[in-house]
Amino acid sequence: MARLIRTEKEVEGRYEEVWIVVDEDALDQWPAGSLTTVGRRVPRVDGLARVRGEAPFTADLQLPGMLHTAVLRSPYARARVTSIDLEPARSAPGVRAVIGPADLNQLTDEPGYVGHAVAAVAADTFGQAQGAVERIAVKWEVLEPLLDPDEAVRQESFVSDVAKYERGDFERGLAEADAVVEAEYRTQVVVHNSLETHQAVCHWDDGGITIYISTQYIWGIRASMADHLGLPPDKVRVICHAMGGGFGAKNGPGDYTPIAAELAKRTARPVRCALTRREENVAAGNRNATIQRLTAAATSDGTLVALGGDFVNAVGFSGWSATTEGPMKMLYACDNVRTTQYPAKLNLPPMAPFRAPGFVEGTFALECLLDELAEKLGIDPLELRRRNYADSDRTEDRPFSSKNLAECYRRAEPHWAKRDEVRARSEGPWKHGIGLASQIWYGGGGPPSYAWIRVGSDGRAQVVTAMQDIGTGTRTAMAQIAAEELGIPLDHVQVSLGDSARGPFASISAGSSTVPSMGPAVRSAAADAKRQIIEIAAQRFHLEDGVLDLRNGEIVSAGGGSWPLTEITGLLESGQILGQGARGPNPAGMQVLTFGVQVAEIAVDVETGEVRVDKIVAIHDVGRVINALGAESQVEGGIIQGIGHTLSEERIDDPSTGSILTRTLDSYRMPTIADVPEIVTDLVDIPDEHLTNLGSKGLGEPPIIPVAAAIANAIRDATGADIRSLPITREEMLRALREADAREKERRGAPAAV
Amino acid sequence: MELLRPSSSEEATSALGNGSRALAGGTELVPLMRDGLVRADTLVYIRDVVPSGIDGTRIGAGTTLAELEVDPQIPQALREACTQAASPQLRSMGTIGGNLLQATRCWYWRLGFDCWLHGGEKCFARDGAHREHAMVGNEQCASAHPSDVAAALLALGATVRTTRREFALAELYRLPTDDDRNVTTLAPDELILELDVPTPDASIYLKAMDRRKWSFPIVGVAAARFDSETRIALAGVAPIPWTLDSPAALEDATPLPGTAYKVDIARTLVRRALEGVAAPSR
Repeated sequence: MARLIRTEKEVEGRYEEVWIVVDEDALDQWPAGSLTTVGRRVPRVDGLARVRGEAPFTADLQLPGMLHTAVLRSPYARARVTSIDLEPARSAPGVRAVIGPADLNQLTDEPGYVGHAVAAVAADTFGQAQGAVERIAVKWEVLEPLLDPDEAVRQESFVSDVAKYERGDFERGLAEADAVVEAEYRTQVVVHNSLETHQAVCHWDDGGITIYISTQYIWGIRASMADHLGLPPDKVRVICHAMGGGFGAKNGPGDYTPIAAELAKRTARPVRCALTRREENVAAGNRNATIQRLTAAATSDGTLVALGGDFVNAVGFSGWSATTEGPMKMLYACDNVRTTQYPAKLNLPPMAPFRAPGFVEGTFALECLLDELAEKLGIDPLELRRRNYADSDRTEDRPFSSKNLAECYRRAEPHWAKRDEVRARSEGPWKHGIGLASQIWYGGGGPPSYAWIRVGSDGRAQVVTAMQDIGTGTRTAMAQIAAEELGIPLDHVQVSLGDSARGPFASISAGSSTVPSMGPAVRSAAADAKRQIIEIAAQRFHLEDGVLDLRNGEIVSAGGGSWPLTEITGLLESGQILGQGARGPNPAGMQVLTFGVQVAEIAVDVETGEVRVDKIVAIHDVGRVINALGAESQVEGGIIQGIGHTLSEERIDDPSTGSILTRTLDSYRMPTIADVPEIVTDLVDIPDEHLTNLGSKGLGEPPIIPVAAAIANAIRDATGADIRSLPITREEMLRALREADAREKERRGAPAAV
Repeated sequence: MELLRPSSSEEATSALGNGSRALAGGTELVPLMRDGLVRADTLVYIRDVVPSGIDGTRIGAGTTLAELEVDPQIPQALREACTQAASPQLRSMGTIGGNLLQATRCWYWRLGFDCWLHGGEKCFARDGAHREHAMVGNEQCASAHPSDVAAALLALGATVRTTRREFALAELYRLPTDDDRNVTTLAPDELILELDVPTPDASIYLKAMDRRKWSFPIVGVAAARFDSETRIALAGVAPIPWTLDSPAALEDATPLPGTAYKVDIARTLVRRALEGVAAPSR
């Protein structure tokens, strides 16, 4: 029976209360461990199409008569357009339409960051559009930009309210402590730099619009563009069959979709608006910089008695302020925690969520500080983490739906135990060390989400749902779930997704939610079809339906009989068995979270500041694993992206004008394959017994979270140097080494402590 | 735009000048044109008329870095400079002649800021973001020259033959001045044809970079020993490839706040390079 409930919905750590209708989730979970296809290592079902260049990306799309867009973006971080003349652009060769601030909300005459869209041109070729944009005559009144996050805090320039949190009594905790450590950490701006830049192709037809877009949320684009255009949502069709990466930056329509829609309307032609790589590095969103001033205090037995911090999020001109303080509030069982988070509004490009926003930055700082505390206490860092193990969620006073972090720690032990052996590899200027860091994050997904399934007379099934595969292997995982439930071979299942006009509503692919949100709906749809097949078979074979099951493409009875599935489905000729399923609710009153620990082995050349990552062992608890091979890929991708964040990636801004200086991939340095270490993936793979009919949580974000802290702690282990800012460039490494040297000299030279 | 394919170097040089540009591998020129930093109505394709290939100590200017890095006749410093430059794709297109004539990677210059090197009034990097910039020769302009190969060739004492003259490689470069912001002495209608690279007793190229491949040098150090004399040259530390008279000369460096770390790295790499080429003691 349909049930109306009021529930909390979480995406990337942000909660909202929503009404939802859910079906009872009547299915029992499958037994733990690998099943027939679920839990196995399965190559991507669309792998061949991708490597052959056949998978249809938005960037590949060529519609007849399609026009191309170039966007005039502000060269100033803060300015006023005192006059703008679009006419010279209109008369340029090949130009079909030009729009400015007066024509569209997404175009501004008061730009607040370098890259803010001001005007746009549609022309027959992209080159013509670019040429025309250069002819737009703008008079700017250039204003003084606000670029310094601490200054923004002083001026109370915020994008949202300052977030304060306190439990227990921080000051009293501090007073009881035997050891206190304090430090200031800084993290940089990094850019998603997806392979496929942000883009959309819009095409008006029959009073409605079709939007081809590289997106993480087909239904979100449908809703926001329907609202923007004043159309009934069913007049907006959104299509995304294959996409080249999003990492959080492609949750919404951006400026490019409304621009393409407006230009398409004016020209009655399909219009593409695709960001160039340079625009991608400026105006497509970013992980914002943070400043974190933290305190951690413990009694001599290692009990954390106070954790506190001021967290400045340099959000940029707009966007939202992620919970950088989240790990400090949630990871450990500390009674006294006090945090303040300042969401600084600056004249810099807006943040967009980036793979575990806030928690990546917050975990770096917290987990580095914890290692400093461990040293001060003379307690092993892994042991210190165990002594402060949280048995329940202290922010909401709720039990965890499941938590196997202790098992992760247990599995980390043999790697952690190699510390002396690894340190002994140090030779000459190369110092070796091991570090670890824990991970906590969301990833439970939630309702609503729906799937349909149809089984044809040939006994093959097609899953139909209007979700998106953002490159994470969703098609494969959904096919595995359907095949498992129907008891048919994996290659007898096809997954149709990527089109809002084909199939029911599906979840956003953000916040590690695709598998935990969509997987249960697909299983439920498959179970619905299976029930019908068994009912029909029972009638055909004159048996009780309770004694029948589907297995290996056959209908089997408890009495030992078996019939090919097609003996039943074949009766239908063109008829089909239709199943439908919905995502059930999350467990009431419980906190659904993911956990993990990573152990990094590194080497540092202490004379040149070169840091080399030799190995990372990633142990995560994300509930049931659907595709062991796909999961491993996710972990590897997260760690590689984390290594970029830790060692080489940084968007660099001009300190006086706020101009973005790193706009190309030679100056914005993502890791290459040569920077990738040995990566060992170890997933606990215990279903969360309280979470849905699958027991699966998401894995997209957890692997990137502990990377930076594990590497920094390994550097500390190798050299004694305390890393304070990311990325760990040569200069930061050499600075930290100099500081450690000076501290060591002072310690040796100082009179013995009384 | 017009693309000319001359059949001799004389024909090529007579087509150069007047705003036309020579095109060889295109790995530098094409991006510069795309970014509007070089404007040319005519490109002169010189690949067919400039010598390429390796003959003893002589290297044709059209030889690609990919060819150099695997040739055992080539001194170690040059091979190592090639291997550590760019990516395999770029190295199989980019020529050694073009590599010597690369423009700086300074982000202000590359983004077309009206900076001193572009003919403007001020160097934006000096007061701005400059961690990748110069630590010597940087009074007017803080840009850093990115060529690994040039540092190796300077240390090796290479000479250059052009369509007009033959000279020591060091004379190809000049620090830009108020009157002339060029960093090379090459005339617009002059082509590098060939290099002559003496064979040292030992040579080496060491490079510090921000990631392990495909990165311009933070500091590159080349050293080449001929009998008892060792020459050292640096990449990525000055607006031009930099000859270091002695290790002690590093103490006279004039780093900016953000490039002081480069001096520390240079000290270490120079020491290691000298150890690397030292004559075996008996």
